[in-house]
Amino acid sequence: MRWVFLLFALLLPALAQEAPPPDLSPEVFRIARELRCPVCQGESAAESNSGVAQEMRRLIAEMLKEGKTKEEIKAFFVERYGEWILYAPPRRGVTLWVWVLPVLGLLLLGLGLSAYFRPRPLPPELLEEADRRMREPPS
Amino acid sequence: MQRNPKDLPSVLAQKRRPAPDFILPLLPPYRAAWGETFRLADHLGKGPVVLNFWASWCYPACYEEAPVLEAFWRRHQGRVLLLGVNTQDKEEEALKFLAQFGLTFPQAYDPRGRVGVDYGLYGVPETFFIDQKGRVLARHAGAIDEATLERYLEEALR
Repeated sequence: MRWVFLLFALLLPALAQEAPPPDLSPEVFRIARELRCPVCQGESAAESNSGVAQEMRRLIAEMLKEGKTKEEIKAFFVERYGEWILYAPPRRGVTLWVWVLPVLGLLLLGLGLSAYFRPRPLPPELLEEADRRMREPPS
Repeated sequence: MQRNPKDLPSVLAQKRRPAPDFILPLLPPYRAAWGETFRLADHLGKGPVVLNFWASWCYPACYEEAPVLEAFWRRHQGRVLLLGVNTQDKEEEALKFLAQFGLTFPQAYDPRGRVGVDYGLYGVPETFFIDQKGRVLARHAGAIDEATLERYLEEALR
């Protein structure tokens, strides 16, 4: 029973962070999390309490009510702020490298490591030497 | 890897897009001369328009540029329309700021900052120059000086 409480206690802060204020739907925050807060450094429009971020969340809520999709809402902000506003760089053009390079790097690292640690056959002269020693009794 | 936020490009100015229209209430001291509300579209295509986004809490940049803007307005009134857009501010505080600097150019009130989003505003102060065809010519982030104002006005009048 105790572990249930422990688990709950561990999860509670995470849950508290997820829960949006009651007036805006969680969907608003899901979209806002993918958008940069223009006046902040390293904060999304979901986390920031700045006036602009609040207005962005209000706009997202309004657009959702109008039946706009997530992509349409993101496009609305890109239209005004440029792709800079997207938290994740778009997966095309120059910024595609941001996505591709880490994977490529990991792949190369894996290849290098496996090549380094692969069991290699012993050189024939060494094997011969061992063979000879086994047959000849030590003098 | 650090980028200067002032260097962030404006989508509007880069593509010389038509200035997004808006209708905002004017702050009380300007209603007698300019009416209850200000509609940007009514003033486009007649001459250059300069939009200055500001807030009373924006210290010191907005306080530095206020006298510069007022002097610019007094010098060029008639050739260019200068509109102050008070953004995400309290009316009372905004009026105190306006009285402090004795600003005579019209001042619109946008407490939500909705118009700022349409202009891709990063912060205050920011100044947008709209040419005679109603397209966004340039954006200046941060306190503006006389030389920059004059330079962009010349460009807008060309």
